[in-house]
Order: sequence, then structure tokens, then C-alpha cells
Amino acid sequence: MERKVAVVGYTQTNYEKESPISRERIAFDLATAILQKLKISRDDVDTIVFSSNDFMDGRTISEVYLVQRVGAHMKDETKAEADGLNAVLYAWMRIMSGQYNTALVVSISMSGSQFRPLLVQNHTLDPAYERPRGLVNFISGAALQARAYMTKYHMSEENLAQYAVKSLENARKNPFTPKRDGVPTVKDVLNSKPLYDPLRELHTGPFVDGGCAVLLASEERAKELTDKPVWIKGFGHSLDTYYIGDRNIIRVNSLRDAAKRAYKMAGIKNPSRDISLAEIHTNFASEEPIFTEALGLFPDGSGVKTIKSGISRREGKLPVNPSGGPIGAQPMNATGLVRLVEAVSQLRGEAGPTQVKRARTAVVHAQEGVCAQHNVVGILGV
Amino acid sequence: MARKDVAIISVGYNGRFVSKRPDVSIPELIEPAVRDALRKTKLTINDIDAIAMGNMQTFEGVNSPHLWASDYIGGTGKPVIRIATGGTTGMSTFHSAYYHVASGIFDVVMAIAWEKQDEGDSQVGLGGILMPEVFAMFQFGPDLSEGRGLGIGIGTGGGGGSTGSASFQASSYLARSGGGIEHIDMIAALLRSNAAKNPYAHLQVPGCKPEDIAKTPIISYPLRYGHTCPTSCGATAIILASREKAKKYAMTDRVAWVKGVACGTSDATFGNLIDGQITDPAEQVAATMVAKKAYARAGIADPQKEVQMAEVYDGFAHQDLMWPERLLLVGDGKSPEMVAKGAYNIEGDMPINPSGGVVSTNAIGASAMVRVGEAALQVMGLAEGGHQVPRRVRNALAHGWGGLFQFVTVTILGDAPVQ
Repeated sequence: MERKVAVVGYTQTNYEKESPISRERIAFDLATAILQKLKISRDDVDTIVFSSNDFMDGRTISEVYLVQRVGAHMKDETKAEADGLNAVLYAWMRIMSGQYNTALVVSISMSGSQFRPLLVQNHTLDPAYERPRGLVNFISGAALQARAYMTKYHMSEENLAQYAVKSLENARKNPFTPKRDGVPTVKDVLNSKPLYDPLRELHTGPFVDGGCAVLLASEERAKELTDKPVWIKGFGHSLDTYYIGDRNIIRVNSLRDAAKRAYKMAGIKNPSRDISLAEIHTNFASEEPIFTEALGLFPDGSGVKTIKSGISRREGKLPVNPSGGPIGAQPMNATGLVRLVEAVSQLRGEAGPTQVKRARTAVVHAQEGVCAQHNVVGILGV
Repeated sequence: MARKDVAIISVGYNGRFVSKRPDVSIPELIEPAVRDALRKTKLTINDIDAIAMGNMQTFEGVNSPHLWASDYIGGTGKPVIRIATGGTTGMSTFHSAYYHVASGIFDVVMAIAWEKQDEGDSQVGLGGILMPEVFAMFQFGPDLSEGRGLGIGIGTGGGGGSTGSASFQASSYLARSGGGIEHIDMIAALLRSNAAKNPYAHLQVPGCKPEDIAKTPIISYPLRYGHTCPTSCGATAIILASREKAKKYAMTDRVAWVKGVACGTSDATFGNLIDGQITDPAEQVAATMVAKKAYARAGIADPQKEVQMAEVYDGFAHQDLMWPERLLLVGDGKSPEMVAKGAYNIEGDMPINPSGGVVSTNAIGASAMVRVGEAALQVMGLAEGGHQVPRRVRNALAHGWGGLFQFVTVTILGDAPVQ
């Protein structure tokens, strides 16, 4: 790759269960915050890539009233559907083409104040067969996936609860996530409300309102704009087949494929050695062992060993979701972009109470669909 | 490595666009378009590196339909991205595919756009965007006597991108250009008869005359029933490739090079105050801005001389008069004169929508991509059924429009890449 692209600026809101301000205002605040941080004006933004989802926003062409708020009036603007990390992927391609030097990516979620966002997401299910039968949904799919993994690799419900507790401990230190009273223990997790066996309420995070934004820049511009550019070393994305019965839901082939592409581009041969930090899109605690193994960070089936060893803890050798990840807060549709924002702040040494040591290369991830049918993987480095 | 030479090597359709396809599901509607695009190349689905897909999902009630359609589009195990930007969706999706190749990251990429409007109610979907606008109208105090204000507020404003709101633009356009409703009749008749020469077009009326259009009732002045688009079901797929791969996989040497792409937005809707001025829905400043950017990227200094044809996004026939002006293909206010003297005919000096345009075929999410596909076919000399422009098309313009009057996309295609 001749051209290099860096993340030069980032910002995020506090994530709240019900935001007192409108999504238009959130968009405006995010865009102005990032411009002010970098001391640039909107004229310095070459292209804007929005990310939103019409179903989640409850309106067709959901960015219609948001584009002006991010300063897109009489500017170059487009939108990638679904998670904000898709928008970063697209913005990165736009800069790589040589046509643009800077790109603003904004993602906003109002899933906290929304009526049961997972019910809205059930509209991704095929309307003729799966949707009316009501058996497969986002939670039941994840539950099948969790149970399949636990059965195959002899993971107990206590081990699974330990994954949740690890994330909740990290989330407690993260100033952006909603506050909880104390950190739940393994026992609390095991006693929390059952969803679908083996998943419980504390295996998943609260849906929240909020958003985040990043500014990407080409190498020349990046050096002008910041002393601490975080380089995009590689990206990979991939889609799996639709019906979960046709997929190996504990291998998550599309994630393996996306990771392979991203590592190849970044020149990473041994991810468990070369990656110093992972921020991944886990809607449920059970997804952490499955996804980190698909990402090649830990050997297949090592979920029990990994959580017991503490290697993936914030102070461990390969921290996974030191921010607490989506178990701390799920701004649906921005969740993946938050992962990137968190990883960037870690790599720049600006993560404050959640800061990990010696972070050089991070892997970030976003997913979409039941049992992570679609996956995006990005590699960031300093 | 960034590339300047990206080519369209194939344009596929699922078949003729029609009102209803109760016989197929959404993925089944899309799949034949993918197959058709591949059939016109030496490619198999395995040679496609990545896919960009788009539609306006709320119209059918299926969120992120690329998930469901995965196997049908050959997306399983491939990088797939989803784009949606309203009326411009088709072209935004195409642009995304273009950047996949132009960035040097992928070599052969397929763009897919579609809509299956018999599965939902698009006007309800569009109304959803506009609710804040309707409330704004009430704030300004419309005349509510005899329920008329309600009619104006909801019937026209609530129509979203449809006839009600477009009629403001049409009136404004006529006032600015000095044209009359008869000029809209003329272009509408031309488009209906052009559509009859395009085997994929939806509303085909062979030999349609302006008098036939003039007989149709006024829906919202000055727009008649005959000036409006149908709601269609259909899908289209376009395959883009780098120079080396185009050479390897294209059936002929004549491919359509993507010379310049640009997109942009102004402010949502009309009647808003910007810098102390009320925006005019027929002014479309973003279209001119975007066109200029695309021409500059394509190395076109004088579009009136260098561009041989255009496919514009015309949900309503007056837009076939307005867009050529805003896209700098003719002088401001010149369209009524141009259409009267036949310059916009397939054989004319500046053929506009030889395919019949969106007025004749509107599968919304696909419409803006169909503009690119049709422009590409014209450059490749492959437009079927008698709608091929007779003189050699060296440069063609494709245009998309959407949002609440504010999103614009432009693609310039040519028979040679930009030097």
C-alpha cells in the first residue's frame, strides 16, 4: 500500500439509557467537538461518511436531517448502513483512492430510549419463514451459539459468568458507560434473569443513547493534524450464509475470513503475539471466547483456560475489551465504531482509568446479524 | 495503490421492471440480475472480490437484506458492504463499488441495487421522513378552512419525494425558465416512447404523443398523472474492474470507463432559510456543485460540447427539463426550447434518458444505479431494442437525486479513462 490513512481525531458522548438531547444535537456536538479538538474548520473535511440504520432510526433515509448537523451542507456526503465501523471502512477506501485527504465518520444510536431495539432488529429475519415462526432471534441465536461452544469445549456456566464479570469490572472504570451499583459477582450473574439458556441478563449490556465520531486523514494531512496518528494497517470484512443451521456458529467463518484479510493487509503473521489489544463487538459475554478465537488471539476451544489465566484482563498480556466492551454499553449501530474509538484512545495513551500498558497494535471488530453473520475487522497501529 | 482507471465491464438486469412480482421473494428477485451481469463477462461469481449492495429497506420491511440475500448474490465468504442514501442509493452503492476498486484494495467488484415495492408501501415510508416538515408547515399557519390546509400539509408535504412536494419544484421551475406545462407534456411523451424502445423499461407507450399526456388528469399542479413515475420491482447489477482485470474478463474492448464520480448534499427540503435566503426547490445548488466536481475529475472542461448523452434521475417529468440545466448540459432556462426542437430525443443533440428514465421505471433503490448502467450501455454501444444513441457516445453523464431534495450523485463515464 502506497497511501497510508490514519485516525487523527476521535470523540464520543457519554452513553445514557435515555439521552435528554435529540439525535440531531448529538450529531452537531460530535462534529463540532472533533473539529475543535483538532483546531480545524468544516472546510478541512473533504468527505463525510455517515452511518445509521433506517430501521433503528425509525425513518426512511435516516440521515436526511443529520447531515447538516455534521456540517455536510454543500459538501461531499454519503452513508454506509449498519455499524459505524462499516463507515470507517468505506471512508478509508475513499481516502485510499486518492480523491480525498480527510474524512469525517459519525455514528449515532438512540437504542437506549427505543422500545426494545432487538425487536426492531428482528426485521433482519426473512419475513416468510424465520420471522413468523419466532424461534430464531438475536438472543436465541446467541444462546444456541453459547451452548454449542460450552458443550464442545466443556465450559461451565461459572466460566461464562466470569467473562461477564471481567467485562463489567472493566466497564466500571470506563467513564463513558452508564453507572452501576458495584460490580456484580459470578454469583450475581448466575442469579440474574434468564433470557434463553444459558444466557442471562448480566451476560449482556444495556442499550444506550449516544454516539461517536472519528476523523481520518491521509498520511500528509495526518502529520499536519496530529502528533499522535493511529494508522489503519488493515481492514477485512466478510459475510456468511444466512440460515444459522447452515453455518458453523462457533467457528464464525465470516469473522475468520475478515480477520485473515485484515491481518494479511497489516502483515500480521501471528496475531496472538503481534496484537497488544482487542476491542470487539460482543453483544453477549459468550461471544468473547468465540470471537477472540476466530480472530486468532487464542487457540480454538481455549475459552476456559483463557478466562482462568487472566490473560485477557485489562492488566493481562492481551487485554480484550478493556473498555468493558458492549457489556458496559450497547449503542446499537455505533457499537463497532466505539470499539475503534476506544482502541485509538488506548494506542494514544489517552484512555485514562481504562488505559492498558504497552499498547502498540489493536484489533477492532464490528458484527451484524444473528450469530455475527457479517463481520468487519480493523487493525490499528502506532 | 490508488487507481484512476476503473471500468464498468457489465450491466445486468433481473428482467423487465414491473409493478408486482408476487412469484418471487426479495433474494429471488435480485439473483437473476447478478447472474445476468456475470453472463455478459468471462467471470464466474468466484472471481468477484467484493460486493456493494443497496436499496431502501423500509419500503419492504426487511432490515439489512444483504444478510438474507447472502447466498443469492454470491456474497457468502465475500466482503459485502451495504449502502443506503435515499433516492441516490443506487448510485451511492455504485460509487462505493467504484472506491473499492479505485482504492486499489479490490480488483473486481459488483454493485447491486434493487427494490421490490409490491412488498410494502413506499409512500408510507417516505411520509415517515417528512413528519417534522409537516409539523413545520402547521407552525407557519396553513389555511385550515374546509380542511384544505390539512390537504396541503399532509397531502403534499406528507408525500415526501412524491408528487405533492415535487409539484412545488415543478411550478418553480416553470416560473424560472418561462416554460409551460406543455413542455412537461412533451418530455413525458418522449420518455414514454423512449421506454418502449428499452426492453427493460416498465411503462412503455410506443409512439406516445404530448396530446396523450395532456389528457391525463392533474394530480398536483402543474404535474399530471402522465408526468409521474410508476412504482416498480426490479434489480440491477454492475461489475467494475481495474484495467488489467477489465481486459481479462470483459467480453469486448468496449468498456465504460468511470472518469469522475462525485456526491454532495444541500439542505433538507425547501423553504428553509439559509444565509438569509429562502431555498428554491428548483434551484438545486448541490446538483451544480456536484456536477462541476465530477466534470473536473473527469477532465471535462465544456460539458455542453464534450458530453453526448445523459441519464438523469427524473421521478417527475419536469425534472428532465430542470436537471440538464443544473448539470450544466444546457444553458439555464434553455430546456423548454431544447425539448420543443427535439434536442432531447434519442437522435437529438443531447439525448436525455433514452432508457425512458425514472419516469418510466422506478424501482427506487435501483433507479440511480440504472442511470449508471444505462449510461454505461450507451458508451459500450450495447443499449438494446432501439434506444442506443446513434452517434458515438464518448462521454455520458449519470445522475442520482434523493433525500429531501438535497442529495445529489453524479457519475461521468467515457470510452477512455482520464489521462
